Amino acid sequence: MSENLEHSFVKQLQENQNIIHKICRLYTAGEDAHKDLFQEITIQLWKAYPKFRGDSKFSTWAYRVALNTAITLYRKSKRSVPTIEFEGRNHFMNEVDYNYEEEEQIKLMYKAVYLLNDIEKALVYMYLEDKDYQEIAETLGISEVNARVKMNRIKGKLKKILNP
Amino acid sequence: MKELDLLKKDWKKTENSFEQISETEIYKMIHKKSSSIVKWIFIISIIEFVVLNAIGFLLPDDTIHQLGWLENLIQVLNFLSYGLALFFMFLFYKNYKTISTTSTTKKLMESIIKTRKTVQYYIYSILATGLLAGIFVGFYLIRKAFIENNQSVMITFFESLVLFIFIAIILGLVWLFYRIIYGFLLKRLQKNYEELSKIDL
Repeated sequence: MSENLEHSFVKQLQENQNIIHKICRLYTAGEDAHKDLFQEITIQLWKAYPKFRGDSKFSTWAYRVALNTAITLYRKSKRSVPTIEFEGRNHFMNEVDYNYEEEEQIKLMYKAVYLLNDIEKALVYMYLEDKDYQEIAETLGISEVNARVKMNRIKGKLKKILNP
Repeated sequence: MKELDLLKKDWKKTENSFEQISETEIYKMIHKKSSSIVKWIFIISIIEFVVLNAIGFLLPDDTIHQLGWLENLIQVLNFLSYGLALFFMFLFYKNYKTISTTSTTKKLMESIIKTRKTVQYYIYSILATGLLAGIFVGFYLIRKAFIENNQSVMITFFESLVLFIFIAIILGLVWLFYRIIYGFLLKRLQKNYEELSKIDL
């Protein structure tokens, strides 16, 4: 593959890398696993890049490949220990904004989302990314109505996890 | 859901909290090897094709020459199995090529499962032709031993036993591959596929 292609890919990926980081955050626990998945997604994006024609936005295309990798292709390595390390998250918050109770609730929510299965995580991810149901349905290959129904069920499930 | 809205707010806020990966690091990454399950399915399938065909080569040639009229039948089965191997390899390659990370999640999973099934069907077809040949040869040998050569029951039994062990080893190998693939590679994918299919029920 030509160097030009490589250069434009690396540049676009560097600019859009948070898409991948956010997927890694939902699908992995621990720094090693995060890096592992990030690398696999990057490789898959690069492999699919020659087919990316630019008729959609780089980010829209990247969402699909990245989610597909996390749900379908990625093999969890043995190195990743399933401990949840949300405590170490860096927050960029102003002192004024700081609300202890709210902060605690957010932590619990991340933990609850981590307990969902891979498909449910994908729906939550796209929901958090403000994707509409049409795009969610198109990415996963399900109907729009059922995507909506499923999202409501997930909300119920999360409620149950939070208040057992 | 209140909590989910809260999470969404935080999600947006922490957008820039990830340690950024440099362009140099990305360059390095794209030259590393993938460890995706598709790659492993590809490698293992190739091994299966090779191993199954190698077993065909290892079969003792001299027994075939003592089979009289059966010899021709075995030859036909032999050619048939090569034809089958080529046909399945073509199908396998075609299916493998349709695996694309840019299709929908469901489609992607379907094409992986389909690719895997191609190899499985190949194994079944090889086992079926092998079994067919085994039955023919077995009957022929037993008939010959008893009627023409007056061979003792002991020797016939011993010969049958060797044949049986050989078939058992092949079946064992097939089972092993099956376990490796389903145990380590496809378990999670199958689970996710079922989960996704359930949504559209």
